[in-house]
Amino acid sequence: MSSQKSYSLPSFMNSDSSLPWLLPLVTMLIVFAIIPFFYNIYLSFHEFVPAKRALLFVGWDNWIRLFTDGVFWGSLKVSLYYTFMCLLIQLVLGMGIALLIDSDDPGFGIIRSILTLTLVIPPAIAGMIFLIMEDANYGLIPWLLKSIGLIGPEDTILSDPTLALWGVMIVDIWQWTPFMVLILVAGLRSLPSEPFESAVIDGARPFQVFRRLTLPMLHKVIAVAVLIRGIDLWRMVDYVFVLTSGGPGTATYTLSLYSWQRFTFVQWGYGATISLFSLIVILIVGNAFIHFAKVKW
Amino acid sequence: MIRKISSYIILSIFIFPIFFLITSSFKNNIDLFALPPKLFFFDIDFSAYERVFGFSNLFKFDPSYSELFLTSRITDSLIIGLGSSSLTLIIGIYAGYYISRVNFKFKRYLIISILSARMMPLVSIAIPIYFVYERINLLDTYIGIILVHTFINLPLAVLLLKSFFDEVPKQIDENAYIDGASKIKILHRLVIPCAKSGMVVTFILSLIFSWTEFICALMIGQMNIKTIPVQASILKTIPSWDMMAAFTTISIIPVFILILMVKKHFVRGLTLGTVKE
Repeated sequence: MSSQKSYSLPSFMNSDSSLPWLLPLVTMLIVFAIIPFFYNIYLSFHEFVPAKRALLFVGWDNWIRLFTDGVFWGSLKVSLYYTFMCLLIQLVLGMGIALLIDSDDPGFGIIRSILTLTLVIPPAIAGMIFLIMEDANYGLIPWLLKSIGLIGPEDTILSDPTLALWGVMIVDIWQWTPFMVLILVAGLRSLPSEPFESAVIDGARPFQVFRRLTLPMLHKVIAVAVLIRGIDLWRMVDYVFVLTSGGPGTATYTLSLYSWQRFTFVQWGYGATISLFSLIVILIVGNAFIHFAKVKW
Repeated sequence: MIRKISSYIILSIFIFPIFFLITSSFKNNIDLFALPPKLFFFDIDFSAYERVFGFSNLFKFDPSYSELFLTSRITDSLIIGLGSSSLTLIIGIYAGYYISRVNFKFKRYLIISILSARMMPLVSIAIPIYFVYERINLLDTYIGIILVHTFINLPLAVLLLKSFFDEVPKQIDENAYIDGASKIKILHRLVIPCAKSGMVVTFILSLIFSWTEFICALMIGQMNIKTIPVQASILKTIPSWDMMAAFTTISIIPVFILILMVKKHFVRGLTLGTVKE
């Protein structure tokens, strides 16, 4: 955390124009964030009409359609469920594993560096790995679940409306729990040891130490991890694209996937409306989170 | 001791899918579909790799594999990855240094906009950019994808480099300035060498995230340019597990090597410079 107050340097730094230093960055932000934002707004009031082969102004039609579209509400529910469940599971699992491997022993250092590996696999390829492992006929995971009797002999994972989303979530949990583990371990390693030693001397039980000391001291690290993971979970599209393409039916449509799918069906205006909705939600929630959790950059 | 054993058990659960993938790529078509799976003992078979690299195509033309010239996919991914991470690094160095050193009026808002850019769902960037690119003929070009990936990686680069520059003492700049060096010279000659590891980490992380990015590369690369994740999603339609496994194995080994080079600063990169190991 950059807690040191950055004092202003004497005139030489402030006097010069900031333009050449920040111009490339600001240009990129304008071209790829501001323009798309307004273009999305523009598109959300237009729709491509195949008969006339042109984008025509349709007023609020796309927005009315959005709020009356059952598939949209379904995909919003899937996105929310996916984001919250994955975040919760990854945070709890990650914290457990982080507490387990928080040690100076070199063996644990090796564990930490091996755990980085899952994080750099392209998500689309992680999806492919699990596509093989969750195959209905020859997949390892259905076979395992069947042989311990958790699912029936005829059941499948990815083509079952209730299990399909979990089939996708398991990939996310597998790939990104190490993200939580590594960040939390880094946080745990940076904590001072004195408060913990005195707590043990005072006879505090391990759970109390965790509740009263570790969690409050880690809250900034946890906030950053939750923020970044939450953003990426909300905009996730790779896994569902590869594993289920939204199926069976519309059971695993997330907002991003639904928007992309409308786009490929040449409903450009409606696709943009959905993605704009998802963008506005994350901008509000994300910035509110940064504000209230006091995350500092 | 129990702690160590349970840690290794958890580790092996996380490693298992990777292990499964790599071994699958060496299995023949019978062992591949065996249930219970043959995890450790199977006949090693390289035919999947021969097909993925297109060696067998030289002798026997097979239309279903003609799309699979792995080497051209790796070239595409490399051109885009190296191009965008170089551009990201260049833009990030100047912006990061300026944000780190100077208190300007809109600094807070600039940081908020950088973070907001990081939050944008990629689909909501890709759809408008598709239409803009269509107008200016950047669809299906390297430069088009490079620019989008640069934008995607900029928040990481700027904030991470800022945190590395924050660690370089400001006295260095001040002393050099009193000695008459210009601002740009101070950055190039003094500050960048002090924050060298920051440069390396930023470059490698940008390269990795460009290598793994999927939806923008899918929408902007149309016919000619397919990065590795895009090709992987297409492979799904050709259900050949051994080839799928061989293709994915080859495409993830380079990133494994890269990430182990910078593992010390990896957490810092993931958290945009806030959590240090």
